[in-house]
Formats: sequence, C-alpha cells, structure tokens
Amino acid sequence: MKPAHFALDTPESASEALALLSAHGDSAKVIAGGQSLVPMLNFRLVRPERLIDINRLDELSYLRVADGVLAIGALTRQHEIETSPVVAKEAPLLTQATPFIAHPSIRHRGTIGGSLLHNDPSAEYPLVLLCLDGEVEVASTRGNRTIALRDLILPWFSTTLEPDELLLEIRVPVAGESSGFGFEELARRKGDFALASVAVALDFDGSGRVERAAITGTAGRLAQRLAGAEQALIGESPTEAVIRDVTSAAAAEIEPVGDIHADEDYRRHLLGVLTGRALRKAIGDRAGSQED
Amino acid sequence: MTWIGKPVPRREDRPLTAGAGRYMADIQLPGMLHMVMVRSPHAHAKVTTIDTEAAKAEPGVHAVYTAADLPANLKPLPVIWKPEGQKPDAIGALPADRVTFVGEGVAVVIAETQQLAEDARELVRVKYERLPANVDPIQALEPDAPRINEDWDDNIAAHFPFRNGDVDAAFAEAAHVVEGHFKINRHGAVPMECRGLIASWDALTETLTIWSPSQATSLLRTELAKSLGLPDNAIRILSPNVGGAFGAKWDRYAEDLLVCVATQRLGRPVKWIEDRREHFQATAHSREQVQDFEMALSADGQILGVRGRAVADLGATLPSSGIGTQWVTGNTVPNQYKFDNYSADIFAVLTNKARAGSYRGFGGPEGNFPIERLMDKAARDLEIDPAEIRLRNQVQPEDMPYGSPSGMAEYDTGDYPQALRRALEVVGYEQIRAEQTALRERGIYRGVGIGAYVHCTGFGPSALLGQINYDTSGYEGARIQIDPGGKVTVYTGLIPIGQGTETTLAQIAADSFGIDLDQVRVVWGDTSQTPYTGFGSGGSRSNLAMVAIMNAADQLKAKMIRIAAHTLEANVDDIEFSNGHLGVRGVPDSGLSMQEIARIAHLAHNLPEGEEPMLQTQQVFDPPGFGWAYGCHVGVIDVDIQTGMLEWVRYVAVDDCGPMVNPLIVRGQIEGGIAQGIGGATLEEFVYDESGQPMTSSFMDYLMPTFHDMPRYEIDHLISPSPHIRGGFKGMGEAGIMSPAAVVANAVVDALDPFRIEIDELPVTPNMIWRKLRDAGAFEDGQPAASLAP
Amino acid sequence: MTGERRISLRVNEQDHELDVAPRTSLADALRDQLGLTGTHLGCEHGMCGACTVWVGGESIRSCLMLAAQADGCEVTTIEGLAENGSQHPLQESFSKHHALQCGFCTPGMIMAAADLLQRNPDPTENEVIDWLGGNFCRCTGYRSIVSAVMDAAGNGSGEPASSSGVEVTANNHHPITENGR
Repeated sequence: MKPAHFALDTPESASEALALLSAHGDSAKVIAGGQSLVPMLNFRLVRPERLIDINRLDELSYLRVADGVLAIGALTRQHEIETSPVVAKEAPLLTQATPFIAHPSIRHRGTIGGSLLHNDPSAEYPLVLLCLDGEVEVASTRGNRTIALRDLILPWFSTTLEPDELLLEIRVPVAGESSGFGFEELARRKGDFALASVAVALDFDGSGRVERAAITGTAGRLAQRLAGAEQALIGESPTEAVIRDVTSAAAAEIEPVGDIHADEDYRRHLLGVLTGRALRKAIGDRAGSQED
Repeated sequence: MTWIGKPVPRREDRPLTAGAGRYMADIQLPGMLHMVMVRSPHAHAKVTTIDTEAAKAEPGVHAVYTAADLPANLKPLPVIWKPEGQKPDAIGALPADRVTFVGEGVAVVIAETQQLAEDARELVRVKYERLPANVDPIQALEPDAPRINEDWDDNIAAHFPFRNGDVDAAFAEAAHVVEGHFKINRHGAVPMECRGLIASWDALTETLTIWSPSQATSLLRTELAKSLGLPDNAIRILSPNVGGAFGAKWDRYAEDLLVCVATQRLGRPVKWIEDRREHFQATAHSREQVQDFEMALSADGQILGVRGRAVADLGATLPSSGIGTQWVTGNTVPNQYKFDNYSADIFAVLTNKARAGSYRGFGGPEGNFPIERLMDKAARDLEIDPAEIRLRNQVQPEDMPYGSPSGMAEYDTGDYPQALRRALEVVGYEQIRAEQTALRERGIYRGVGIGAYVHCTGFGPSALLGQINYDTSGYEGARIQIDPGGKVTVYTGLIPIGQGTETTLAQIAADSFGIDLDQVRVVWGDTSQTPYTGFGSGGSRSNLAMVAIMNAADQLKAKMIRIAAHTLEANVDDIEFSNGHLGVRGVPDSGLSMQEIARIAHLAHNLPEGEEPMLQTQQVFDPPGFGWAYGCHVGVIDVDIQTGMLEWVRYVAVDDCGPMVNPLIVRGQIEGGIAQGIGGATLEEFVYDESGQPMTSSFMDYLMPTFHDMPRYEIDHLISPSPHIRGGFKGMGEAGIMSPAAVVANAVVDALDPFRIEIDELPVTPNMIWRKLRDAGAFEDGQPAASLAP
Repeated sequence: MTGERRISLRVNEQDHELDVAPRTSLADALRDQLGLTGTHLGCEHGMCGACTVWVGGESIRSCLMLAAQADGCEVTTIEGLAENGSQHPLQESFSKHHALQCGFCTPGMIMAAADLLQRNPDPTENEVIDWLGGNFCRCTGYRSIVSAVMDAAGNGSGEPASSSGVEVTANNHHPITENGR
C-alpha cells in the first residue's frame, strides 16, 4: 500500500519552510510526526504534490513558561508532553490526556501541532486546548497571527489555517492555585479513537464553590464548549445533584455523530457519563492538590 | 528417553526471534516483477469496458491483463467439497463481464516495482454499469433477490437438512420450549501476514516454482496443475515461514492462478502480495449466519429435542470447501448433550460480499453458540442453575462411543461432566454465585458464563470424506530417512503456520527412537520432497502425521534390529533397541549405536539376505475415524452498566485433547484460540453498508483483540486418549475458539439478570448492551435508575 | 528516479548510504535495500506494530516514517538487538514462555518491549500491557508475551506455564497452571 509520488522538501529553518509554503502552499502538505498523515498517504486518500518535512526545525520544539503562559512549540513530541514535569505542573490536563493518544511508539513521533491541525473529531489535544482556552501562533511570509482555539478548529478534520501558514506555537494559561482538572475518554479499546471524551477545568473559590468552569466534549463531530453544562456548575458547590444536572446538560448539548463503532444516542449518553467522571476527577484533583 | 509430554521450547524460535524468518514478502528473486490487482469498487455491476492502454504505456509496466487476455484453456480452481444438493461453482481467475463484490479483481498490472504497479493500476479505466446489490442473507432466500450466480436459478447454494428422531412429537409433548434468534457476525482469520504468492516459470524445463504461504500446498499444486494444463510434477511449491493462517490460507483464490499465468507469459518471476485493505476486502471472511433454533425440554430440564434453521451468508462465491463450514455447524449443534430428536435446516446463500471461507473451528463455533445460549435460556426459564442443567443433559463417559443425533458424529472418548465440574471448581463457582447479589448492591454487575463444547479433530478418514463428497483425501504421510551419519530426517506434508510442527514432530520421532532431539531434523514445505497430503494443515490433524511417523519409526527400528542381529550374529529376538542403541539382551557392552547401524546399512557390504540397503521408509496413516476433543470454559465478567463496557474477571478453560506431546505448545493453541474467540465475540466484524460497500477495510475499523482485551487464562486439562490414534493424541489446534462467544454472551446475560435482557447477537458491544439496558428501563434521564444506583 | 535523494543511515552500528525516493518508507528501505527483512509489514497504516524499530534509540513504527526522515539517524532493527552473537534476554524469554507462534509480530513486539525495558527495567504487568497494547499478535493470546517480558525484566515467576513436568496418565488431569504462576 504505497503512496502516490510526491516531492519532498526538508527545510532547515522556519523561514525556509515559510518560503516553501508561500511558493507551494496550495499543492503541499506539511509533514511533522506523520503518524496521521502517512496512513492517509499510504491509502492514497490524500495525494499532495509535495511534502514539506519540518522535522529539522528543532527551534519549534520547546516548553516555556513566562507571564502565566505555557508556550509549547508546535513540533514538541507527544511523548515529551506526556512525561514533562513542567506540563504536569502548568497544564495537567495535557498530562492526563496524552496517554490516551494511540500508543507509545506513535507518541514518540507524533507532535502536538500535528495532532491539533489534523483535528480528528476524536482527538485529545483539540479538546483539551479548547478547554484551556488556548491560542496558537501561526506564521507565513505575510506575517504572524494569533488564533484562538475556538476560532481555529472546524468540523471534519479542518482548521482555519491558511495553506501558506505554518503553526509555530500553542499557548495556554498556566494552572491556577485553586484549579482542578479532569480528562475522561472512552474508546472500544485502549488507544483507539474516542467514542466520546470530556475535558474539565475548574477554578474554585475559597468556599469550595466553582468560580469558573470550562467543559469541552466531543462525540464524533468536533470538540465543543458545553456552555450550558458550565452554567449549571458556576457558582455552585459540586454536590451529587449539581453533578447530575451538569451531566444532563452536557448530554443534551453535545452534537454527536454516529458510525459503525457507536451510534449517536449511545455517544450522547456516554458523553454525559464521562462528564460526570471528569467532573469528579477535577474535584478530586483540586482536593488532592489542597492536601499537598 | 521420552519426549512425549515434555514442554520443550521450540526450535523454531531462535531464527524467528532474531528476525531471520523468511516470509513470502522477504523473498527476492533476480528479475522479479510485481503484480497488483485492480479491484471492483462496486458490489454488483456489469463490466462494460476495461481500457488498459494508459496503464500499459507507463514506464516500468510489463503487462496488464483482463479476462480477455487470459489463456483460453485456463480452467477455474475447483470447489472440492460438494455436499449433496450443493449447486456447482468454481473459483475463476478474472470475471468476464460482471463483478459481484467490492474488492473482486477485474484486472492485473505487472510492473518492475510494487510502487510502479500501484501507480499504473490507477490508470486502468474500468466502466461499470451498476446493478442492484443484496447484502442481507435472509433476503437472499427470496426468489427475486438480485441473482449472484447467473447459472443458478436462485441464490441458495445448498440446503442441507439434518433429521433424526421425531422433533414434532418432542415439541408437542414438551413441558417447556425455549427459542432464540441468533446472529453470528461476519469475521475471520485476519493473520498478521497478508496473503500472497510468488511464481517463477522456467520455459526451458517447463516447470513452475511457487512460494506460497498456503496451508494446503499439495492441494494447491494439484489444482493449479489442472487449471494451467500442466502435469503435477511440473509444479514445485515451496513454503516460506507463514505469518499465521487460521484457515484463510487453506482456501485457494483467483490470485493463485493469476500469478502463475503472469509468470508463464512474461518468463520472469512474479510476486503478488495483498495489502491489508485488500485483505479485508478479498481474503476469506467467515462465520456469518442468521439462525433460529428452539429447544424442547421436560419440566426438569431434560432436552427432548432441538430444531431450527441456519442461514449462512457465503458472499459472492463458494470457497474451496463449499458449504463444508455450514455442514460442520449442523453437526455441532447437538454439542455434549444426549437427545435423539434433532432437525436442522442449514441454508447457505450468496450475497454481494466477499467470499466466506475457512476459519479456525470451521463452522463449529457457529454451532456452539446457539445451543449454549439455549441451555442458559432454559436454565433461566426453568429456574435451574445453568451448570446443573448441563449436568442433567451431558453424554456420560459410559455412553461412549456415542452417536450424536446429527447422524454424522460419533464421539469417541471423554468425560464431559468432569470437565464442567473441574471448570466450576477452579473458578470457584459457588463463591461467585454467593457474592453476586451483594456485588450488585454495590453497583458491580458480575456474571458467569459457561461454554461447553466438542470439536472434531484429525480430519479425517478418506473413505468418509468420499461419502460426504469431499473431493480429497484425509491421510497423512511421513517419510523418515536415517543418513549414513546416523541422523534422523523426518519429512512431513504438514505446513507450519505457528503451531510448532517442527518441534512436536521432532519430539515424536526422537521419542520413537529414544534419541536426543537434536538428532532429528524435520523437513517441511517442499512438494518435491515432502509427502503428498490431500488436506495439509487444517482440521487439527497433526496427530495423523504423528502416527505416520511412529509407524515409520517402527519399520526402521525393526530393520535396524535385523541388521544388528545379522552383524552381531545373534537372534533377532535377542536384540534390544533402547535409547538409540541396539545390543544383545543380557550382554552389556555389546551392541551398536544407531550411527553404526546406519553406516552398515548404507555400505551394504554385509546385509542380511534380502535386506535392502539404506534406512528410509514412508508410512501413510489414514485414520479410521474422527477424534473428538472437548472441554468446558467458564468466564466471569463485570459489566459497567453506565457504559456497557466489559471487564474480564476470570477465564477458566478445561480442555481435553488426549495426551499432549508438548504441553507448552498445546497451551499456546488454546490461549490463541480463546483470544480469537473473544475477539470475534466482542470486537471483530466485517461490516457492509446497504449498497455492499465494506466499512471495515483497515485495522482502524476492524477491531482486533489486543493485550488490553484479554483475561488471564487459567488452563487445565483432562486426558482421554483417542481409541484409534496411536498415542491417543486428538489435537487442540482449533478447540480453544469453540465456546468463548457463548461464554461472553452467557456471562453478560447473567450479569444483567435483573434487567432480563437477551444477548443472542454477536459481537457483544458496549453500544448494544447500553441500548438493551435502556430499552429495559435501566436509566432515568440518562442516569442509572435511582433504584440501581449504589 | 524522480526526486531521489541520498541519505545516510547508521543501521545496527553499520553506516549505509542509500538512494531513496521521497515516498519510500523507512521500513521499505530497510527491507528492500538493506536486506533487513526481520522488520515486517502487517498493515502499512501504523496500527499493528509489526514494523517497530528504534530510531535514535526510541521505538517507532517504520511504516509511518519516510526513509528520508531518518537521514543521519541511528536505526536499530531486530537483527541488531542481539549482541556479540548471544541473544537479548527478551529473545530468550520469548522462547522460554512460548510467546511466539508464527513469529510475524515478534520482531516488532520485541523491539517495542526492549524499548520499555531500557526506560523502565522494573515494569509492572499493567505497564507492560500499556506499553505493548498497540502491537497486535494473532497467535498467542498475549498473556505469554506479558510473562516473557516480565521474566526478561526479572519480575516474572521465571517458570513458563506448563512446565510442571507432572507424569501424564490416562484419565488424569493436570493441576492448574495459571499463566505466569
């Protein structure tokens, strides 16, 4: 199962990559880890004329904390994120979510940028980064721009990235003192594409009430903010009754798409169940960090 | 020195763990070309034109063939099992003008490299006129369903009835009847190595050399010879290491013919290997059946009769073994249970899907599932424990040999109740039952599922194969040669496909002569050297090869004794053969080693009168009957009622294949079979949409069982030797896969007993479980009902 | 050939210069051009793990890597795992525990397991299962592989299943042997 012909460029710098994208953007695809792209090439589902291999751009692989923001280079490997104490401290939702991505050997090559831009409906990073209200910095020969996550991701494996743009960096606010995070995913087998998944980020006030809540979920279509579920939680103490209301709201709000692995109704139900579990995890996470 | 029963590590392992195995894809020959298939994207269509000009013009392309380009005298490969009433069919190379499933090959492209062939393939322009397609086996029974085989007047390949006793009377007088509508999912072997073939034609000697991972190379050779119009002995088939087969590589396929035609035409070796997507679309599927069975019982749970209908979806053509799989299903339904009245109507129909062919168990699991589910339904209705109801119905050891009501199965030896009791003892059945209610109150829904089974092994007596219209033989031969240096070489027709043939046959031979294992070499996989076998590796028949080896060893031992007697000037009766040494009884330090006798036999300077030189012989063993392995598996599963996900708690397997040559290898066969059974019961399925498009053409969609999906296996054995196989070996290659599906379904139904759901369809998925729970009222507003919350 | 480029690979401690097309996978380059056929192709879409090798000392799926992307890298294949003609502990323990049957998944499985053991010499069973969960085996049913890896790490029972050596007589039964114990 061999791919169709393509030309291959291997730029040694970001500016070289941008020049290539400017010249060939419409007929080229960027290849980073290749863990999602190469299968599609092998199936001949995509047949770009040209691949631009950005794996030499070491300058795009980093984890930096400054001014309350964790900046992650687009080329940072998933394995590095999984095992980084910096990420565990500043964006624990990423640490919770990364082990769900496929399997270790995939994560040795796969990058956060690649996963985000591939934007599979069941992917972990778009969901988590949306939950964390992240933003991305992209560049082209026309200049740089910043795109909020909610403005970046579109249904069905699409983003608002222009063909001549290169993703440089992903930024999320660092975790606060009184935060709790929970990520839950259900798949047919461990490592498979999620049937449904939920990311929860909570900030608590001094009395244990939820001050801020971000709940994102996906059930086969697109990572979405579940604002109704968030509203049911904000200002409340997370009792069992409140949790039930939140999960009902989440299940009602999600827009599932079914396939041979799970139908719509079941995904909707799962989304609700996972919301409850992620919520409990986030509450426990907060309680755990309080005990530290 | 005895080697039987020793769990020796395999001699196959060293090269395989070092990456030094030689699988078909690894073979490179000088001048080799690469063939790819152009496959139909439609489930049912007329082929109006095929334009190959653009493809042919591509650099590196050597040829493009369609049906019109094939030799006029090329015959299709045969369907060799033809039970009475089965309509005629054959396995053609390329269709002339109509395709009947997505993935059917319509043309071939041969080029310098795999990449170039795949590029050129895209330039072949095929014009199709779509026809209505049918993917529903029940619909296929209707006279107006789209006709798949235009030589037939309907889509029914065969209707095979089983009749015994008087089922009508049994049902009329029954105190209770249970019934079920069962669906066995379409799934299959899916070995890790794809299917392929390399063929090299030598025009000067007019001989064809083939490398094939086929399980049945003698059959492949005979059939190719007939189809190509060559003498059998002009074809030599070599077996590389095989990366798993499980039946899918036993069947013969169109590509086997096409690669041979290509090499003959082009005068260069041609390699064809499918990719994984093609594998899912065009290599044998299996198992799919829609069944309705019912069971009549007395008030205390005695089976009075079983009747029903099974409709098997064979896809678009019959496989090499015809409706053999379905015939086995009809034979398997009575299982371990003692009753006379049996009526089963087995239908096999054609639809616009890939061909269904051989897969481990070969129709057995399809027969096991409905009966084991019915037993549990009966247990529930009559309020008898599911283990107890089986004990009340099992054939007893003293009933053996027992003729089952299928009319075609005679169980040889075994203690079915003991297997069940032992499995229950190991799993701690009473404890589990005692805990169930308390666990439920804590929100843990735990269930126990029992799956008892029988499985036919040592396939089979040639005369019997003749009686059932199986156009092949069932014997196994073995040739043993002791060379002048005294080392033993065993030639076998079996093909190793992972079952440790080299090691186990070496153990048998070494045991026969009383010598070290390293004195024995096993040669396999070369039709010009190894004994003909009309069946090859399939049907759990290693035991037949073992008997042939033991018989051949006997002959050579007798000859060595004669030569020793002559050489030592002693009486034949006074010569003792033990541990590779021949001496005069009672005279220690006398005697000769096997090496010395071998040298004497080869020099032939002074042999007994009339004795032939050398030490070699061939023996053929044709079994007088089938063997019947059996066992009982018990599984314990927790069901998460919120998500429908299953978690294994225990899996106990008590199996009896008679004495075991190598317990380590037997264990591997059982565990592998259980894993496939669990995969088929919970994960795997070839799915087609209504228009006949396959939805599961990659490992993303066809879900293989992984490390995460397996229980720990608790394996125990009983040993009931076969009465007509020397050594008593029965064979365990397939038995592990027989009952896991029943175990899973029974365990889940038991776990969810408060909801009174039925699980009669496979695979058992979380989605299905959740839907049944929802329909049974288990949820309120998406949450488990308040009455169920912990 | 269109767009071919010369790459340098250091494979199993030997340097090689190869000409590869852009679309040539690392797996194909190793197999077809270097004759290292121990790395197998089971799916060519990154799902089965049979093609697992090490690049830069970490396990990756060679069917998903372009050969050109490995330019200048150190590659270790199954053929390079054993040292000085003796077997890697995993190769020995796989045989001892009957953790292979047809052998097709085995090189990839061992390369993946060897990567685990170099990072985590003392894994739990769950860690082994988690690490290897994306490597398919169709023959063994997986538990024997878990035992083999645990044993190679020094954490197993050391005894393969079915090694009890109990005398077998007709109509007897073996005592229980649970895998790994």
